[in-house]
Amino acid sequence: MKVSFTPIIIGAASLLFLSACGNEAAEDGTVELELFSNKTENIATYEKLIEKFEEEHEGIRINLYAPPDAETLLRTRLVKDDMPDIVTIAGSALYGELTDAGMLVDYDGSPMLENIQPAYLDMLKELEGEESEGIHGVPFAANANTVIYNKEKLDELGLNVPTTWDEFINALQTAEDAGEIPIYFTLQDAWTAMPAWNSVAGVLQPDQFAERKTNGELSFEETHVEMAEKMKELLEYGHDRMYGIGYNDGNREFAQGNGVFYFQGNWAVPEILTTNPDADLGVFAMPVSNNPEENKLVSGVDVLFATMKDTQHPEEAEEFISFMLEEAQSEQYMSEQAAFSVLEGVLSDDPYMEGIRPKFENGEITSFPDHFYPPGMGAENMIQEFLYRGDVQAFLERMDREWDQIQLRF
Amino acid sequence: MKTKQRAFMLMTIPAVVLFFLFHTFPLLQGVFYSFTNWRGYGDWEFVGFSNYLNVFKDMRAWSAYGFTFQFAIVSTILVNIFSLIVAIGLNANVKFQKTLRAIYFMPNILSILIVGFIFQFIFTLFLPQLAGLIGIDALSENILGNPDYAWIGVVIMAVWQAVAFNTILYLAGLQTVPGDVYEAAAIDGANPWKRFWKITFPMIAPFFTINMVLALKTFLMVFDHIIALTGGGPGYATESISVLIYSGGFEGGQFGYQSANAVIYFIVIVALSVFQLRVLQKREVQQ
Repeated sequence: MKVSFTPIIIGAASLLFLSACGNEAAEDGTVELELFSNKTENIATYEKLIEKFEEEHEGIRINLYAPPDAETLLRTRLVKDDMPDIVTIAGSALYGELTDAGMLVDYDGSPMLENIQPAYLDMLKELEGEESEGIHGVPFAANANTVIYNKEKLDELGLNVPTTWDEFINALQTAEDAGEIPIYFTLQDAWTAMPAWNSVAGVLQPDQFAERKTNGELSFEETHVEMAEKMKELLEYGHDRMYGIGYNDGNREFAQGNGVFYFQGNWAVPEILTTNPDADLGVFAMPVSNNPEENKLVSGVDVLFATMKDTQHPEEAEEFISFMLEEAQSEQYMSEQAAFSVLEGVLSDDPYMEGIRPKFENGEITSFPDHFYPPGMGAENMIQEFLYRGDVQAFLERMDREWDQIQLRF
Repeated sequence: MKTKQRAFMLMTIPAVVLFFLFHTFPLLQGVFYSFTNWRGYGDWEFVGFSNYLNVFKDMRAWSAYGFTFQFAIVSTILVNIFSLIVAIGLNANVKFQKTLRAIYFMPNILSILIVGFIFQFIFTLFLPQLAGLIGIDALSENILGNPDYAWIGVVIMAVWQAVAFNTILYLAGLQTVPGDVYEAAAIDGANPWKRFWKITFPMIAPFFTINMVLALKTFLMVFDHIIALTGGGPGYATESISVLIYSGGFEGGQFGYQSANAVIYFIVIVALSVFQLRVLQKREVQQ
């Protein structure tokens, strides 16, 4: 009896160990690096670029791993102490957390950072917080928080792209009077309220809001009334089913010509075009203020590369990152992904993105406010609820309370 | 005798070891981390009971408790009513009895996520269109998008999915009731309603107990349903405690804090189950 059990247990145990050791270097001396990506949209592009890299660099193999719901998965893997070598994530709160925990290699002063627009490096610095020294990620691609519009419909209504808040409201009113749906909201998915909120709050909120809020100098209640009121005003130009429609359904409806304006970032444009390749789309930065100069484009680091400190092959990882930053690779990525390069002087020639090119050219860029909200606060859910209930005071109080409470949980 | 005992020991030990390794040990780890400020990785320190104190001050946790209990109680009652009715029907001498039993068991073998996505389609597109055709304005809105009624959508889907399993348990119970009791009752002139309340229901009381406890426990730990239907929204209207622990712990990096929440919730569920068993079993004995 006893003899027959031992091999099973040993077998099961060794299976467990084997799966834990999958990351080791192969026997023939090639270095294998795991690249963990939080985007599923760009897998095909990455694979092409990786193939090119492997051809040029014998002895290094890159294994791309881009699961759905990647940020959560990355956290669960960190819990298990099972680290990838390179991570490519967005410049959001997760990045701040990883640097805070001291898990990323410092690239300050590295030649890789030389050509990158300072605005994006500043964003990373701000995410890392005051206590952290250095820059632990290499920005690669940027995104833009925009209003997507149906060019054909705007022409039919005899309107131009609005440049001030009043013009924008006027355009919405005209669209409504003409029997169109002015804004196609998709509020069943809480996060789809964020593009609008980020535009409004990104332009109007006080400088260094997140830091000063955490220090108790400012509160949402004092500073965000105007933003909340503006969100409510936009809501009047929605449609009957806006709380029952989600992001995917919304993309399809907008592609089919429902709605004149659509609050989404540049990432939604390729999605809309898959439904209707002939859709005549344009984008602009939401004019939140009546002073056109204040209306900056909200843009953030969509993709950055960072190397985990625990990797056994930091040189090879750096080699890969600098390869990706070379102009040829960068341009291929940007054109295939309709993204924006963070390199100075490299501008998108995507015709759909024409409307925001001047903003990039002139550096009229501001960062996503919600990237600085504490992770786990769930701002999007509170905003979604606020839009439904419409109670400004209760909403702002709740934002303040959740923010303060989160500080107690670490 | 001795060799026999050794054989039994050898049979149980692997299970005990595996159970301890993959169940008890992580549980103890969770309790340990609930006293730290660990975010899931990196450095951490002991923080004593502060996580526990903060859970009690957390409005989001309170609202999650409120939703979870409301949902669990309503669903448990509905599931038990429906599955008892279905079980009685399937226990009767109907045509295609075996086929029908198989069909009624189907929801249980479907993955909750799949059922959830189908129901989401029904609530988002099918029902509003149908209501629009018939002209009922009240139903033309997606109820999952309404913070006041979204929980009803979750209840409908959860009950539909859960009735199958409890029906099987009730069916097993009904099979234990001997037929001659009914014959005697029929001779004494008891109508079907009386026969149910005076004979069937008391006879299957143990099954009622176990069904109530199991259903309540499952619904208190509701997770997949929410993820598939609403993701906890709109707002936090349908955020259950399991969803809160998961999203706060992993997406929000509050591993230690949500571990404390989980420990509290574990105690609540154990206490509730014990209480429920005591009360319902007492009722069994009396009858």
